[in-house]
Amino acid sequence: MNELTRKQRFKNWLALPGGWGILIGTIMFAAIVIMGIVIPLFGPFKPNAFVGDPSVAPSFKHPFGLDQLGRDVMSRTFASVWIDIGVSFFGVTIPLIIGTIIGILLGVTKIKIIRSVVSSIIDGINAFPLLVVAVAMLAFFGAGLKSVIIILSITNWARYARIARTRAVVVSQQNYIEAARTLGYSKSRIVIKHIAPNVSAESVAYALSDFIIVITVISGLSFLGLAARPPAAEWGSMIADGRAYLANGWWMVIFPGLALCWAAISLSFIVEGMSRRDRGNS
Amino acid sequence: MKNQALRKILGRLVRAFSVSFWVMFISFTIIRLTPGDPATARLGVEAGKAATDALRKQLKLDVNPIQQFFSYTNGLFHGDLGISLQTGRPVLDIVKSTLPVTLTLILLSTAAAVIISIPIGTYIGWSGKSSSVYAFRTLTSIILATPNFFIAMIGILFFSVRVNWAPVFGYTPQFPGNLKYLWLPVAVNTLIMTAVVSRVLSSSVLETKGEEFVETGIIRGVGRIRFFWFYILKPSLAPTVVLLSYMMGTMLGATVILETIFTLPGIGREMIGAVLTSDYPVVQGILLFFGFITVALSFTGDLIAFWLDRRVKI
Amino acid sequence: MTSNSLVSINELKIDVRITKSLRLKIVDSATFDVERGQILGLIGESGSGKTMLCRSLVGTLGRRGAYIAGGDLVFDGIDLITAKPSDWRDIRGKRIGYVPQSALAGPNPVMTIGAQLAEAIEQSENHDKDYIRKRSLELLEIVQIRRPEIVLKQYPYDLSGGMKQRVMIACAIAQQPSLIVADEPTTGLDVTVQAEIMDLLKRIRSEFSTSIILVSHDLPLINDVCDDIVVMHAGATVEKVSSAQVSHSLHPYTRALYSSRIDLVEPKGQLVTIKGQPPTVGQWPSGCRFADRCDFVVDSCRSASTVPLVSVAQDHMTACLRFDQIGK
Repeated sequence: MNELTRKQRFKNWLALPGGWGILIGTIMFAAIVIMGIVIPLFGPFKPNAFVGDPSVAPSFKHPFGLDQLGRDVMSRTFASVWIDIGVSFFGVTIPLIIGTIIGILLGVTKIKIIRSVVSSIIDGINAFPLLVVAVAMLAFFGAGLKSVIIILSITNWARYARIARTRAVVVSQQNYIEAARTLGYSKSRIVIKHIAPNVSAESVAYALSDFIIVITVISGLSFLGLAARPPAAEWGSMIADGRAYLANGWWMVIFPGLALCWAAISLSFIVEGMSRRDRGNS
Repeated sequence: MKNQALRKILGRLVRAFSVSFWVMFISFTIIRLTPGDPATARLGVEAGKAATDALRKQLKLDVNPIQQFFSYTNGLFHGDLGISLQTGRPVLDIVKSTLPVTLTLILLSTAAAVIISIPIGTYIGWSGKSSSVYAFRTLTSIILATPNFFIAMIGILFFSVRVNWAPVFGYTPQFPGNLKYLWLPVAVNTLIMTAVVSRVLSSSVLETKGEEFVETGIIRGVGRIRFFWFYILKPSLAPTVVLLSYMMGTMLGATVILETIFTLPGIGREMIGAVLTSDYPVVQGILLFFGFITVALSFTGDLIAFWLDRRVKI
Repeated sequence: MTSNSLVSINELKIDVRITKSLRLKIVDSATFDVERGQILGLIGESGSGKTMLCRSLVGTLGRRGAYIAGGDLVFDGIDLITAKPSDWRDIRGKRIGYVPQSALAGPNPVMTIGAQLAEAIEQSENHDKDYIRKRSLELLEIVQIRRPEIVLKQYPYDLSGGMKQRVMIACAIAQQPSLIVADEPTTGLDVTVQAEIMDLLKRIRSEFSTSIILVSHDLPLINDVCDDIVVMHAGATVEKVSSAQVSHSLHPYTRALYSSRIDLVEPKGQLVTIKGQPPTVGQWPSGCRFADRCDFVVDSCRSASTVPLVSVAQDHMTACLRFDQIGK
């Protein structure tokens, strides 16, 4: 009985706009995360171990082949999940938190000078393409994944701040906020209990699509040799390493690339599904 | 009112200038983010005090920050962006010699993307068939989720490795000859831009289609070409133009990767080179240019959008 | 059909395609005539089919997947059901003008007022620039727009809602059509502006003796302007009555629409609203479709197979089985 209603409820959920997109995206994303845990832990080959001759084509024993140094491409591809998705996770959540807080404060502040100065700093930071400002800052911070997270935290917050500010201004003019004010609630209480929850929904929605951008930026920086450094297994740097062997070792480039696409596409299916659900059309 | 429009444009111009100021400020500040002393970071601790001091003086780091900023901005207005630590060339010269390659790349791909997107976007949006809209949105979201360097790799695999249609190394700056080197990176950019632009265009056309004035146009019996421009495309174009100007900025950033892959002597590859050799003035100068170009692009985009459609907020 | 009729609609049916096999009836029995020089008010709630009826007169049903499924639709001797695209080109704009539903979204936002007027004036003919300009200014004067030279260069964004609707009326009368279809022309406008637009329509009729079909859901608003009132309910014409006789209407629905007026001058203290919701489009009950909301309902209203539109007096038709009791 209970089983049946749950099944029915799931069916109803699926029938809503974007249901299939969210479901397929989530399954795809879960699959790659699970592979990222299972293959490095229980797989027969360590990602950095030399297990055979260099540049061996895919076979039954090594489904993704061996790279130019004789390492198993499959183990390395799935070991990368940790770096790419893990680092991106921090690269998204830290700016999300910083940016949303700053944005909300900016939206509710009455001090005009702060509002206009910080707002134009935000516009200034957002004027630079993310990849370019990240590359430039790496020149001063020194290459490496830790620098990348720091850089994303000090640049990417501006995009979240802009979203949160706009939303906070709208929310704080709503009737229920006015009502809370007339009831004499303290300002901090109104901001924390009423404004923040309403603003953060939109910021989190943006974070999901930002995740795709950040994965691309991190793998792109690694591709340029500025983020993950050899011998770490990372999709971007694996593709960069395999580039020289493209003529007779396509598998060194294609498999990590497909894994990267898989992760990004699964997220974009979720984002697409969610936005369809928001718009409410089919 | 004419005056009202003019005031809006002026307001937008003021904003562009204030953003430019912050772009300048950020490019100036960025060197101070170096943990410790930039000169020591570049030369290493074993370099000796004399050498580090000399470099510090060359980087104008030997005076107080306010003086530094004044001499920096003063330099900018006289076209002085500093001198490369690596080659001794003025940064402005480096920008001047590398920017044309990058701009050619961006402009060619933008033009191609616009030419391809307009028929695709209007067709998908106007037909409004939910199955084709669905397939189209899925396809474009797959393209957009694929990083440009992976698309480039697949392109190289097919057109440079299998058949030698697109040489991966070398470049000639002269016009028809450079296309041989440029067409594949342009194609990669075009694919990505087409996906974005046609997507946005199709959804605005879909929106326009339901508007009351379209009915009025049909009833008035407006001629085909006129109807297509004034009743379908022009009212749908503003969001696309705004997005296009933003995308051109993003594409400019993406050339950092694309020019490295295709060894094109553009500003993006120059920047990577400067980052790898800690050539601070070059990094700063190129960053500044990237910022200015994006500000100019978004200003122009907003202006064109406003010219097309007065409903646009700028 | 009398000889003086400009439009004659008889038992008109309009269906809309939902999917390949599913059809929905939007209008299934619309019957009325419009005489030359007459202002006819077409009244009904949303879902009564009045907008689709308007679209059938300008031939744009196809855009929404709708089509005429039966009945007669004749305009000035031309059968509009079988009209070809080339026939429509000669009818739309030239002989039937159209004022769209929403004043706010009516004019094209990316064209100047001048350009839109020029389009309406020119249609397929080629007039020279001076003529178009002169005629545009003349049209703007007719619809009482001040400083027309400036307005010509403006975009709809710069105009108020009332001004926009005046411009739309100017476009509609540009070629001096014999009929103007105005689909809820005052939606979203202020009450005072609504009254001004009504006056304008009235003046246009008396100056050019144009017939006007004025669609509205607000009977009290348009009653003073109109000569005849046609009431639509759930896809069918339920009453046609002259505006002077509306207060003596014989259909309970018309009476309800009329008495829902709020009289500001002479407060009567009582505001009658129509109870219940109109039946869902296409899912009409058999028998009288107003039965569920009617105060006069008896069992025979529901059991009747159809409720015919019968002539009860000169220029007065009604579709109520109990009309003879209601008048008393």
